[in-house]
Amino acid sequence: MKKTVRKIFFIWEYEKEEQWLNAKSKEGWQLVMATFGKYQFESGIPDEYTYRLELLDKSMNSTESNSYLNFLQETGIEMVGKCKQWIYLRCKTADGGFEPNNRVLYDLTHLLKIQEFISTTKNRLVAFIAISICGLLIMDHLEPSNLVDFIKGFCTGIALSTSFISLAFNPFSRRINKRVKKVIKELYTCE
Amino acid sequence: MNNNENKVLTEAVFYTLLALYSPLHGYGIMQETERMSQGRLKLAAGTLYGAISTMLEKEWIKALPSEEESRRKEYQITELGKTVVKAELARLEELVGNGKLIIK
Repeated sequence: MKKTVRKIFFIWEYEKEEQWLNAKSKEGWQLVMATFGKYQFESGIPDEYTYRLELLDKSMNSTESNSYLNFLQETGIEMVGKCKQWIYLRCKTADGGFEPNNRVLYDLTHLLKIQEFISTTKNRLVAFIAISICGLLIMDHLEPSNLVDFIKGFCTGIALSTSFISLAFNPFSRRINKRVKKVIKELYTCE
Repeated sequence: MNNNENKVLTEAVFYTLLALYSPLHGYGIMQETERMSQGRLKLAAGTLYGAISTMLEKEWIKALPSEEESRRKEYQITELGKTVVKAELARLEELVGNGKLIIK
């Protein structure tokens, strides 16, 4: 039996998303396909698989990502879904799940990857804002007309909404930094 | 970073280097490590992948030429890798020696 669930998780909710997928697995619903906002489950043995979300360093089609995914496959981990550079992995719970050998190192790598993702996204947004402001400045020098007014409104809209989105990333980014510092402190006592 | 002395290896790296005294592929390393540690240490795929790529960069291990058909890569320890393991073994022996001396 199959069922499709539509649900939205934002990137900062990856832990919640992972917990949700693992809870579904315990209920006997195994994820077989995932893209942004859409999940397909198949009924199966409860807790047969453990799920994990990972953020790839490079794009999905790069040689590095391919060799990583091949390596995972060789060790019994399969990819069930993807959304940009996020991948949905699963392995048999009986095989030990995804428990890393070095929790500190694992957390640090993961947090830094997310931080990098946020900063790239923010840079892109800032570029958007700059382009919109340039657009506004140019429009100011043109003869007023309906078209000029429309473009002005459009640019203002883009500039305002992207500024808002990029500001919205700040609290999340601060939270990640705080966690990175905490994890580094751990490194003083154990690997 | 070229100074290979005074380095403390992680458990995963130490066991991987030991396992690679004979050529093995990724999954083989995981099985061998589990066997050597009598089931105590199960290497996670992500940890092992990270360890392998870093050790390849440092030239502690090398990838063996593989046939086009097979996607599985085999690895083996290099002379430099053997030096690193020996240095680590000496360090561990010092730790164990001092530990035993004090805790009786």
